[in-house]
Amino acid sequence: MAGVLLYRGDRVGAVFSSGVHPSLGLDPLSSFFALTVAAVAVPALIFASSYLAGTPRAGLQAALAGLFIAAMLLVLAARDPSTFLAGWELMTILPAASILVAHSDRPVRHAVLVYLAVTHLGGAGVWFCLLLLSSLGAVDSPTGLATAGVGLSTAVSLSALVGFGTKAGLMPMHSWLPRAHPVAPAHMSALMSGVMIKVALYGLIRVLFYWAPGQPIWVGVLVIALGALSALGGVLYALFEHELKRLLAFHSIENVGIITMGLGAALLFGASGQRQWAAIAFAVALLHTLNHAIFKGLLFLGAGAIERATHAHHIDRSGGILRLMPATGVAFGIGSMAIAGLPPLNGFASEWLTFQSLLHVGRDRIQAGWAGPLAAVALAVTAAMAVLCFVKVIGLVLLGSPRHSSMGTARDVPAPMRWSQLSLAAGCLLLGLFPGLLLHPLLAIRGQAPLEWNPNLALPATGGLPTVAIGVYLVGVAALLVALRGRYQAEPAPAWTCGQLIEPSLNWTSSAFTKALRLSLEQVLRPTREIVVHRSRGVIRSVEYSGHLPHLFDTVLYGPVTRGALAGANRARRLQSGDLSGYALYLAGLVAILLALVRTGLIS
Amino acid sequence: MTLAAFAASAFQLGAGIVVAPLLPGVIQSLKARLQGRRGPSPLQPYRELRRLWGKSRFHPLGTTVVYAAAPAVVAASLAGALLVLAPAGTREGSPLGHDVILLVGLLALARFALGLSAWDTGSGFALMGAARDLIVAVGAEGLLMACLALAVLAAGSTDLVMMAAAADGPGIWLSSSHWCALTAFALVIVTETGRQPVDNPDTHLELTMIHEGPLLEYSGRDLAYLQWAAAARHLVVLVLGAELFLPHGGPLIWRAPELMAWIAASLVGLAFTETLVAKMRLLRIPVFLGSGLAIAGVGMATWFLGIRA
Repeated sequence: MAGVLLYRGDRVGAVFSSGVHPSLGLDPLSSFFALTVAAVAVPALIFASSYLAGTPRAGLQAALAGLFIAAMLLVLAARDPSTFLAGWELMTILPAASILVAHSDRPVRHAVLVYLAVTHLGGAGVWFCLLLLSSLGAVDSPTGLATAGVGLSTAVSLSALVGFGTKAGLMPMHSWLPRAHPVAPAHMSALMSGVMIKVALYGLIRVLFYWAPGQPIWVGVLVIALGALSALGGVLYALFEHELKRLLAFHSIENVGIITMGLGAALLFGASGQRQWAAIAFAVALLHTLNHAIFKGLLFLGAGAIERATHAHHIDRSGGILRLMPATGVAFGIGSMAIAGLPPLNGFASEWLTFQSLLHVGRDRIQAGWAGPLAAVALAVTAAMAVLCFVKVIGLVLLGSPRHSSMGTARDVPAPMRWSQLSLAAGCLLLGLFPGLLLHPLLAIRGQAPLEWNPNLALPATGGLPTVAIGVYLVGVAALLVALRGRYQAEPAPAWTCGQLIEPSLNWTSSAFTKALRLSLEQVLRPTREIVVHRSRGVIRSVEYSGHLPHLFDTVLYGPVTRGALAGANRARRLQSGDLSGYALYLAGLVAILLALVRTGLIS
Repeated sequence: MTLAAFAASAFQLGAGIVVAPLLPGVIQSLKARLQGRRGPSPLQPYRELRRLWGKSRFHPLGTTVVYAAAPAVVAASLAGALLVLAPAGTREGSPLGHDVILLVGLLALARFALGLSAWDTGSGFALMGAARDLIVAVGAEGLLMACLALAVLAAGSTDLVMMAAAADGPGIWLSSSHWCALTAFALVIVTETGRQPVDNPDTHLELTMIHEGPLLEYSGRDLAYLQWAAAARHLVVLVLGAELFLPHGGPLIWRAPELMAWIAASLVGLAFTETLVAKMRLLRIPVFLGSGLAIAGVGMATWFLGIRA
């Protein structure tokens, strides 16, 4: 039904209201996000049906996953602030419950605490923003905010960016994301990273484009800047991550950044009155939202399947999955190519569109147009780093031979888990070949007439992206070249490494592969390392090496804040002395101050 | 697509396939002369390709389909990049379109395939080369995008035909951002073609290899594809540079000789830098690319501040 609404541009149910009467409804934007949720939720639940079998409290887990999906749909269908906020809170709490049901050891409890604390602190922004909007009556009429003055609309924009941005994992409010996503069960990680953060983006879009339209230039620049920071920062920390699910979580931050850059471009176009390109950039951001939901859902399910089969969390101890688990391996490879933004898959299609939006921001008659080309350069660097990262991931996880003895017996996962991954991989291919079919209804969401019905991407002032032809060409020519190569082949032998045999101890690790980048970015990343040399009687017995890459946002930004809060709490605790005469003194003091205030006339 | 457009694309691709190996051949030959050696003939790459075509290929133990498919994917991507280019302002549409961002994507696909083949062999030398190639590409792709962004700003389009038309004639040379873009793109050419001072294509020491590293295990027609792709990379970036940043114009009949003259001049320039400049340390490359980014940044600043030379 949501699909019909999207393509016909219709709405059902209630329209938005600022009152407190709970009401539900769908319009094309909500329908699109509901479709995105469904596109990941269905495969994730099929995956879970087999993944949860035999684990303790499987029924409870399944129920929580179902409720979580329902909560996200509630946010999307909410047509008044109270329902929206109710759904929002449920959407935050249910994954935490699911994580704790799955395992509740100490590090996991800490991760959940950080998740709840950061998302609630940030979530205050959502409450503030929505209550302010509804008190101004802006939820049901777009003119509501226009009369409110600059101060209030600035407050709305900033609180929306902080509130929804925290939940979406935008840097520098992302601190919870790489902690919470990896500890969740595979299907919940797929849902959290694939769609929950997209529901937060839905909220941001609702506020910036619908409830508080006509955003000033600086909001557009700020949104692009936050997007570029998230994209670069996300992929940079992903590169140096050794745990597969944490690595994928950092890539979620990167992709949220790419989506946000598209939204920022739409805001800048809108602020300069370029309606056509504003609608294009908006549609581009939505298309990347769906694409990312699909390939990230796929990669998290794949990571869950690999973890289940091999019990390896660390990518350096994985390997050979393509041979041990062919279906999972192929699906994971396709997802990796998609997220690395390579033609002819869906990641490339939407990155191409994002590049176009950003480069066209720089054209004449756009205020603050310089932000666009700069962001395009940032996106190019991001894309190149994503390629580096996923070459590393595929190389370590899928290719080669198993790097750990316990993996040799791994078998591919049961059919429901395989097929759910393969169906998402098929989604990556289809959306890569026919992105135009979806881009056109998305253009209509912002009232822009579809260009022409075309599976390819044809935008004004671009060379166009004939996705079908590119796919056919690449596969066809590569196949032709393979055929031309003939069958004349020498006997296989080991790879040549100057006469040495390739042994497990000579295997390259993920840190080795990215070392040159770490060295060149030492000023930014500030890695720490420690070398301990044990000598006895002048002979070196052993050398211990440990390296660590601190997360600068944690140490520089969150560290002082947390320490300050704890120190403040300690000071406050000193007031609670437990001494009765002390409390009597506080009371007497309070009464004296109140009397003095009344005397001076400050309170009457 | 009309028959004429198809024929034009087929001709463009065929000419690109045939001409590409000549470019590194000319550089090698010129470089040898400059260094006082007799050196190989410019046609040497063709002889090497013929020799490789007759040899058997070899797959190391334990490799998968990824290793086997990589040379074909690399060659297909580079051939695609040749098709996307619009040399000499040809207006006949190629089946892949003429969008410059697609060109960047195809070059990335080639790097990706070669990087995976290195992981598949597990050989340390191949991985060292692949890692360096991909890491250099991080800066190089940013720099390439910065140069392209300047050209897009001037043309108002990412269509290569439009971009080439915008760089047409003398007017563009009054814009200081164009000079910055040209300078920065020279660094892109050196990096993408794998020439000194970034990479040394003649090296026989595995520890210093960048582009050559992942090629070590390949042989026979696999290696022929990869060597052709390395040559095609020269052609792609030189044609791109000539079309977007070097002076051209005049009637259609002039375009082909103009393009050839600029490519020849670039080859001479590359041979000179290879002779005069030593290969730089790996960790100096980010500084090299960063200076290019700074130049492009100056170009952007002048563009948006409206400064014309």
